[in-house]
Order: sequence, then C-alpha cells, then structure tokens
Amino acid sequence: MLEYSEPVAKLIDEFKRLPGIGHKSAQRLAFYILRRPEAEVEKFVEALHEVKEKIVFCSVCNNLTDVNPCMYCSSPTRDRAQICIIEEPYNLVAIEKTRSYKGLYHILHGSLSPIRGVGPDELMLANLFPRLMPDNNDGVEVREVIIATNPTTEGEATANYIARLLKPLGVRVTRIAMGMPVGSDLEFVDEVTMDKAMANRHEM
Amino acid sequence: MLLESLDVQNFRNIHGKLSFGKNLNIIFGENGQGKTNWLEAVYLLATTKSFKTQRLQEAVKFDEELAIIRGSVQVSAEIRHALQVALQGNTKTLTVNGKKETIHRYLGELHAVVFNSDELEIVRGTPDARRKFLDGGIVSIYPPFVQTLADYNRVIRQKNSLLQSAQESGFSVEKVAELLEPWNEQLIHLATRIYKARIRYVERLNETLEKKLFGREEIAIRYASSLEGKGDLSDYAALLTERLNLRVQAELASGHSLLGTHRDDLEINFDGHDLRKYGSSGQQRSALLILQLATLTVFYSQNKEYPLFLLDDIDAELDYKRIGQLLEFLSDKTQTLVTTSKESFLERFGTNAEIFTIENGALKT
Repeated sequence: MLEYSEPVAKLIDEFKRLPGIGHKSAQRLAFYILRRPEAEVEKFVEALHEVKEKIVFCSVCNNLTDVNPCMYCSSPTRDRAQICIIEEPYNLVAIEKTRSYKGLYHILHGSLSPIRGVGPDELMLANLFPRLMPDNNDGVEVREVIIATNPTTEGEATANYIARLLKPLGVRVTRIAMGMPVGSDLEFVDEVTMDKAMANRHEM
Repeated sequence: MLLESLDVQNFRNIHGKLSFGKNLNIIFGENGQGKTNWLEAVYLLATTKSFKTQRLQEAVKFDEELAIIRGSVQVSAEIRHALQVALQGNTKTLTVNGKKETIHRYLGELHAVVFNSDELEIVRGTPDARRKFLDGGIVSIYPPFVQTLADYNRVIRQKNSLLQSAQESGFSVEKVAELLEPWNEQLIHLATRIYKARIRYVERLNETLEKKLFGREEIAIRYASSLEGKGDLSDYAALLTERLNLRVQAELASGHSLLGTHRDDLEINFDGHDLRKYGSSGQQRSALLILQLATLTVFYSQNKEYPLFLLDDIDAELDYKRIGQLLEFLSDKTQTLVTTSKESFLERFGTNAEIFTIENGALKT
C-alpha cells in the first residue's frame, strides 16, 4: 500500500532521484510544493522546461550553454592555444573567478569511477582530440592542455588516463598544483594538505 | 600526557568521576559492575571509538538520550585541556576546552593503546589485523598517512569494481589492461609509500623490541611483502609495475586486485617458529604485549611522551609473573590503567597504585 495518494507518492519518487536527496528531504520538498500557490509552481515548472529546451552542450567544449558554440569557445579574446580540462561545468566558474586564465575549456561531465559505472566511454572526451588540430581551432595550434580534475583518486585516475592519450600527440600536458590554500596561515592547514604542499614545493 | 580525571554521565552502566594517578591505576570490582566500561570510556575519550562496539548509540544508557564523557588532560605543568565526547543518537560531538573540534584535530589530544582479548587478533588472527596494527602505529607518529591509506583503499575498491564489470562484460585482456592503467598508476604510487612506511615502522619496532621480556623465547618480527621471491624488492615500484603488467589476466579471472600492500603480512616468530600457528596462548599474549610495548616506545621516541596504556582484565590474560615484569617495565613510563576482579592482585601490585573499587558502575565510597 502507498503511504500517500498516488500523485504525491510520484512526486516524492521524482525528488528522490535528485542527488543528495533522501526520502525525508523528498517528502519535505513535495509537501512544500503542495502548499505553494498554483502560479508559483507554474513558474517552477516553466523554469525546468526552459532549461531543458534552451540549454545544450557546447559542441566544442561540452559546456552547458544557450548559444552554440558557447561564449568561451566563440570569444575572439580567449587564448585558443590553451585548453583546461575540468570535470563539471561549475568547475569552470571557479576557474573563471581567478580572471587570470584566458584559455579555453573542455568539460568531461564526470570522472572515472568504476564503482559508479563510469568508464572512459562515459566521459565526454572523444571531441577533445579533433580540437588539437589547427584546422578545427581557427588555425591555432594547441600548445598546452591543463588537467584540472579534482585531487581525488577518481580525479587522479582521470588525469592519468587523459595524459596517457595526449602525450603521444606531442602536446604539452600539465596538472594543476595541489597544496596550501592562499591567504591562510600555515597553522590552520591540515597535515595532509601541508604534506602535499611540502612535497610540491618549488625553487625560488 | 596525563589523564587526570574522568567524569562520566549515562555511559552504559557507569557514572561519576575518577581521579587518576600518574603511574598505575587499578580499577577493581566484581564482574558486571562496570570495570571494563570505565576503561572503554577512557579509550573513547582518546580515540572517539569504542573497543567493544561499532554502534556507539548502544553505549548510551538505556532510557537516556545523551551520554557525556569528560576528561581533564594535563598537557604540561601549566596547561590542562578539558576533552569531552558527547553521544546523542547517532551523533558524536567532540569538544576541547568547551569548543567544538573536528575529529582530525581532536585525535591529537590524547593517545591510548589497549591490551584486551580482542587485540589478540593481532597475534592469532588474519593478516588484516596485523596490517591494521602497523598502519595504526604509523598514523600515530605520522598522521598524514591516514590519507594515503584511504586513497589506497579507494583505488582498490575502484579497481575491484572495474575488474568485476569487465568480467561480466567479457572484455579482452588488452582492453582490461588499458582500463586498469590509470588505477594501477595510482596503486603503484600509493602502495610504494605504504610499503616503505611499513618497512620503516617495523624497523623502528625491531630497534626497541624487548625480545626476551617474558622469558626464554625470543620474539622476532619481519614485514612480509606479498611480492617476496618475485624480484628485486629494493625497487618496489618497478617490481610492482612489472607484476601488475604480468598478472592482468589473473586479476581479470579472479575479479579482484591480487597485487599490492593489501596482501602483505607481518611475520611474528618465537625462536624461529610461526607464533600464530605454533605459539601457546601464553606465548601469544606475551608477544602481543611485547609488540604493544614497542609501539609505546616508538610513539615516545617521536612525540616525547607516552600514550595511556589500558589493560582490560589483566589477570585473565597474563600470569602474575608476567604482570610483575610488565609493570616493572612500565613504571615511570606510561600512565597505566588496568582492570581486575581479584583481591590477590591488589595485595600483590596495589602498594604503589591508585585503587578504584567499582560497584554498580560507580566508585564505591
């Protein structure tokens, strides 16, 4: 027997599919929706529709965008000789905030994780290789690929995998550094991070 | 490191406050009065874990919501830290001097080593218990090692999962070899760190091992890599790389990671015999103590202080002769807490000790 009438149970089920949402949160969200005025719910539904209708993957870098190619790939001011590989679109936002990176991106939409059934074929990687040819890149040769996947075992495995494919092609492959967060005191850094920072120290 | 006092509310059947001495402390009482629970509370205060259960909510007194264990630790002559572990339902709140701390920081405050019948797994159980013993010792002197172990276990789980799905999908050996590469690359890097750390730690244990503390048999330990006899171990990374490349088919067939430090063991011998197989129960207990004493000494050489040493039901595990030798060795070194139910123990060892008689969970007055 269902705990709730069918439409409510169905809504709870749909919420439960969302990442980070368990049964209790799904119930709370469903009942929140039930208590909202019709117009407000309408707006929510519209936003969902719109995002699915208008947002597509950029055919060049896989970014989520409403224009294809995306604003980065079509920008004349970006440095086309650098490509930064990231796991998720929101990682791009983090890098953009620095305002120091002027190159292009390539978004994998995930990282290798056999436990979650993600192998190389599930990553959006295939369209990276044509980009390395000047013919497909406004005549510019890609000088460097920066791998900025997360410093987790999954991110490392993904970085290893990609580096292995890219190196034979003669392009320079780099990995972002790991260590001290800037602006923090040494005393506040946990020993794992400190250990990494010591290991990755550089000549002055 | 000195635990001056322990204050307990609603933890199992115990409550009240004990003020400990800096050498030997004897918790005395009849069975079922809560002696071991007091020791468990001390262990919990130090490690935030129980040596009796994985499910800490079981340790909150029946019909009560919140259990509190509070301890005053003397850090130096002038400095005291008030540690507190509060258990409520599934949550565990750690505070130092009234301020909430992360587990990471909390764990550095107080260290404890426990000797009880469960720890005998180290000398008589599966290799897993011995690897844990080594890894725990390494973490206590080099905390970042926790991350290396966690990453290694994660890589092994990912690799196992990959091998199993490759098996189900009927992938070719070549295809599997290619898919394994990014994981094996990390496995080699992490396993090499673990191997070197364990070898070094066993060396340090060996340097301080009181091989003959308890009698004629001589205890010897040796780290036994699962790659022994397969090639040159002095270049571990190269050897592991070579073996991993050779064994792809075997790993695919078994669906498990067959190579790495998760297959290693610590050999414990007495007079050249395998202790696990041929040691008497008494010899195994002696060997465990000798190993734990070496752990204490290595910890001391790194941190210039000893952890607390907790011995549960000491006279059930050891005879009086060995206890005498042990206590003599420990005197002026560790703050030691033991539990016993025997009056004769008090008569024999109680002269220079603090004695706490426990009745119905509390100090008998």
